[in-house]
Amino acid sequence: MSIFTPGLVHAPVTPFAKDNRIDLDTFEKLIEFHLRNGAEALAISMHTGESVSLTDEEQRMLIEFTIRQVKGRVPVIANASDSGTAIAAARAHYAEEAGAAAIVATVPYYWTPPPAMLVEHLAQIGEAVQIPFFVYYAPSEVVGPKLTNDIVLKLIDRLGNFAGFVDASQDWQFMISMILNAKRKRPEFQLLTGVEYMVSAGAVGATSMFSSLAGVAPKLVRRLYDICRKEKYFEARKPQEEISELRQVVKCPGFAGLKGAMRAMGRDCGETRRPVMALGAGYEKLAAELNALAILHEEPRGW
Amino acid sequence: MSLILKGVMQSTVTPLKDDFSIDLPTFERLLDFHVRTGATAISWPHHKGESLNLTMAERKACAEVAVKVVAGRVPVSIHVSALALENTMELAQHAQKIGADAIIAVTPYFWRPTIEEMYDYFVWLGTSIDLPLIAYNSPHHQGTGFTGDLTRRLIERLPNFIGMKDAGFISEKFVEVARVALALKPTFSMIAGVEFLAPSVPLGCAGSYSSAGAICPNLCLQLYDACVAGKSALARELQYKLIRLWDLFRDQYPSSLKGGMVLMGRPVGPTRPPLPTATKERQAFIAAELKDLGILDTEPHGW
Repeated sequence: MSIFTPGLVHAPVTPFAKDNRIDLDTFEKLIEFHLRNGAEALAISMHTGESVSLTDEEQRMLIEFTIRQVKGRVPVIANASDSGTAIAAARAHYAEEAGAAAIVATVPYYWTPPPAMLVEHLAQIGEAVQIPFFVYYAPSEVVGPKLTNDIVLKLIDRLGNFAGFVDASQDWQFMISMILNAKRKRPEFQLLTGVEYMVSAGAVGATSMFSSLAGVAPKLVRRLYDICRKEKYFEARKPQEEISELRQVVKCPGFAGLKGAMRAMGRDCGETRRPVMALGAGYEKLAAELNALAILHEEPRGW
Repeated sequence: MSLILKGVMQSTVTPLKDDFSIDLPTFERLLDFHVRTGATAISWPHHKGESLNLTMAERKACAEVAVKVVAGRVPVSIHVSALALENTMELAQHAQKIGADAIIAVTPYFWRPTIEEMYDYFVWLGTSIDLPLIAYNSPHHQGTGFTGDLTRRLIERLPNFIGMKDAGFISEKFVEVARVALALKPTFSMIAGVEFLAPSVPLGCAGSYSSAGAICPNLCLQLYDACVAGKSALARELQYKLIRLWDLFRDQYPSSLKGGMVLMGRPVGPTRPPLPTATKERQAFIAAELKDLGILDTEPHGW
């Protein structure tokens, strides 16, 4: 299998109209915005895109829609994560047929299967496709089973297309040990960071970065990523701290903060779906805090 | 009352005789070994020194020995954390009386204190002594940890709050504490709890409390030097070596570390229950790893 290094992957939100349905007109504008502002790949629909609040039909539709809209300008990575193994595997297969460049999947929602079944779950999703398969791991987002070195190594044995690990644990002990052991088994195996903490991740071997804040501050995200890819980590400290500061402001009101920040930047993507509560009056406070951040003054406003 | 810590610092294990009593002559040799092999500071007794398994009398007696043997060659800090904070206070006062250079204290055990309780605790401790205070952040073990804001408040309140040992090893948490602390107090020392230096030095980390220094002081110094010099590829390669050691030692810490020291010609006896003592089989496994890593040939043997 050829090596697919996704690079800087933007993970867009999913815009909703007032009636709570997916707002495809806005989504089209959003895709174009990401492509014009530094995305080397798109990941559809990550947790950032409220994947867990979308029906299977909606997720399939968004993957297809994105691939049609992107027309090969960048690779499109499809998130197939779900609770049931067969459901996730079927979505992965569908995404491949639709033209996705790679599949990403995380541990099952709600269930806490034993390690052997966790391997089985992820292996069956990976086996459903020929394209590269990435495991996504975000223990702070998903209450669920822990991934271990041993599980990663078993998956490498099982899956020829298991190409890399998208880490959002940010846990140095896990990341370093995992990538070292994985590379000893499969030298082309890749570490990707699932959040914008590229300095530490890059220093220990990460080659790509998933970003949800790219919809808010694409220039800053791109700057951090580019400096890190040149391995100038001391130079990257400033943009890293700036992104971290931005992240604290955006996540302070909870998950709805991201769409609040999109709106504050003139890219209104509507409200979040239930059960995530809309920001309501909290929006003004968030917008004021974002306006106070000098780093956002250079970022694009509107579409 | 100012003290700037940087470089590879060593927290000494506590050598025991076969009957589990403290082996003072070996403790003296070990302290001297660390100073001779490049330690920029000594700290005792961290959890690696089995602090919680020592009596108050033992802790005081060994603290005196540490200060006497090091004899001002490098700074000595005393870890004062105990279950009952009355004991912590007593150890802190004692450290000051015997001429230690600093104290270090972890967030309180068992209670999972709130942010306000942690603030109250560190202010109480820090204002009771004239020594520099290093806070020890161990969120995985304590169930609670430092935030950037708590760090800021403590730096503003306590002029003797000079550094933090971070054993969280999580990118975002590290960035948030370092960003706030170093902006407010540029001389503040962020110290990696064990030698996770590649992911932290570019973010302002000043050094490490070593785990492997009793086994391979040369390797620890090489990693630090590579990180400080911005030699990313070399730093990554050395960090990968050290994660293999940390993976050997971290479980039942410091049992395996003490087992490994036997192989390096620096036996320090058993580990006090409830921690196990490394068996002959475990030592054989450690020996194979040390051999594979080339450590038996490149690091000092004996005292």
